[in-house]
Amino acid sequence: MRLTASIRGKSVICEKKITKPSLAISPLPICLNTEDTNNIRRGVIALLIINKAGGLIYNRTFGEGLNQLNSNDYLVLAGTFHGVHAITARLNPLREHQAAHYYAQQQQQHHHSASGSIGAGSGGGQGGPLPSRPEPPSGLEVMETENFRLQCFNTQTGTKFLLFTDTMQANVDVAMRKVYELYADYVMKNPFYQLEMPVRCDMFDRKLNSYIREINNSR
Amino acid sequence: MSNMTPVKGKEQPGLRYPSNGKTIYHRPLNRAKTSELSQASFAYLFSEMVGYASKRIVSIQDLEKRLNTQGHPIGLKLLDLLLHREPARTQTRPLTIITLLHLIKQQLWTHLFGRAADGLEKSSDPTRPDEYMIIDNEPLVNRYISVPRDMSQLNCAAFVAGIIEGVCDGSAFPARVTAHSVGKQQAAPAAEGEEGGEGKEMWPGRTVFLVKFLPEVLERESFLAKG
Amino acid sequence: MSYYFAIVGTQDNPLFEHEFGTSKQGGDGMSRFNEAARHMNQFILHSSLDIVEEVQWGTGQMYLKHVDKFFNNYVSCYITAGNIKFLLLHQPMTPNSAAAASSRSSTSIAANPTSPQTEEAVRNFFVEVYENWVKTIMNPFYRVNMEVRSPVFRQRVAAAGRKYL
Repeated sequence: MRLTASIRGKSVICEKKITKPSLAISPLPICLNTEDTNNIRRGVIALLIINKAGGLIYNRTFGEGLNQLNSNDYLVLAGTFHGVHAITARLNPLREHQAAHYYAQQQQQHHHSASGSIGAGSGGGQGGPLPSRPEPPSGLEVMETENFRLQCFNTQTGTKFLLFTDTMQANVDVAMRKVYELYADYVMKNPFYQLEMPVRCDMFDRKLNSYIREINNSR
Repeated sequence: MSNMTPVKGKEQPGLRYPSNGKTIYHRPLNRAKTSELSQASFAYLFSEMVGYASKRIVSIQDLEKRLNTQGHPIGLKLLDLLLHREPARTQTRPLTIITLLHLIKQQLWTHLFGRAADGLEKSSDPTRPDEYMIIDNEPLVNRYISVPRDMSQLNCAAFVAGIIEGVCDGSAFPARVTAHSVGKQQAAPAAEGEEGGEGKEMWPGRTVFLVKFLPEVLERESFLAKG
Repeated sequence: MSYYFAIVGTQDNPLFEHEFGTSKQGGDGMSRFNEAARHMNQFILHSSLDIVEEVQWGTGQMYLKHVDKFFNNYVSCYITAGNIKFLLLHQPMTPNSAAAASSRSSTSIAANPTSPQTEEAVRNFFVEVYENWVKTIMNPFYRVNMEVRSPVFRQRVAAAGRKYL
């Protein structure tokens, strides 16, 4: 119900990972001020953190001259993205087939390695690997537009980190990882932070700012 | 050594031994210099300790008092442990305030945090000869803690203050110890001019542990100095 | 030679007491206090606390050696960092039996409560007790000035007594 509401009136075409996904979300969260020709390459522009219920718990932009949404629109954006993400996670025509293929491959590998170890005479296997569960569908991961690139990282607990960068930014994965690490340290280890509630941690702000400044200046 | 194996339960009803028979007395007191603990696990533990202490509190002082109480017995115990680990030659009890504070700044801090404290100062106010300050630029316990705005008075290093208080009380120098954040407002008064301004930028978590000795300690100190 | 060992807390409260005799020179490790005077032991130790409190600020050493004497009872003290006092009262044999034994043990611990050898033996005893004491207070359930009831601690103290005294 929530999902349909959040995408009502918008055409959503999403093909995960196969071709470049193009998503029409309006309004655009952050637009570069293209008039300012000196600052077209900005690096990391904004970070949003969405909790597992789709609520916006953190919102920060880096640098000046960025278009801002009003706070209500940010909340709508977060909820919308959450819904879209949930849909994209289910949009996978290949899933059944892929899973079967994956298991077959696993079995084969196991067989090979077992016979190999006997031949080598080591024989110290740990009883074979457990049948591992296939990765849960990740849903939308990257969204690219003319003006910006959005990278989404979904944690094991369903918290989503949205990193808005310019289209030329490299190593977003590394930046995302670091942001996640800062979150794990300065938010989750803070006794005054309540789970799923808006993040208000000075320490996190400070460390995040200095890290983003560092990577933005290094370009 | 056969006579030192624990007696069986029938002689001491209600007393239980670990299944391997090893009690606290069978374990060595010394530890390797390199043995370390995970900071993350401590951070989670401390986070829960603060959470536990903040249940049903009426004021910030109340919370700090509880953290202080949690630290106090640790100080009492560490005092003897640290002295026991000293080599026999330097195994002396602190007799003066200065030796006691040095013990805290060096041995205690190194044991707890892997480095000495960043400063030790006497109050510059002549009307308060009983006040001393131990300065830590970046208390380990506060590493991941952001205090909410409505509790800006709070410094969770009150726990460390409790440990210091335990050490002071244990060695017969009864004192009240409190933790104060000085990173935001003003660097410590003794820090010299420009340096002070720099200091607050560099060390936003700078904490001063104010050690206030009870009058009888000073009385004894002056008496001992004469004798 | 008979010994009475007591641990006294910061409020001058007793935490632990143990009575034993010498195990050197063929001693059987049993105390031989005069029954009529045995109850005095606690008083003697308690009265020596005043002297301990004076001496403890004169030196940073933990072993305060021999601090007090009451007739034929000698009191040695060891003070921990946490201001807990270990007091050992030693009572050499009564003069006539000591005279009988003097031929073979004039330098022994039993005959000379103030000799350097005795001092060293008592120090070793205290150091060993101290190690076990630190282990006791490391117990998370132990709070300051609580009576020590651990049978293992008692065994360890008795073993230290047998070993050194």
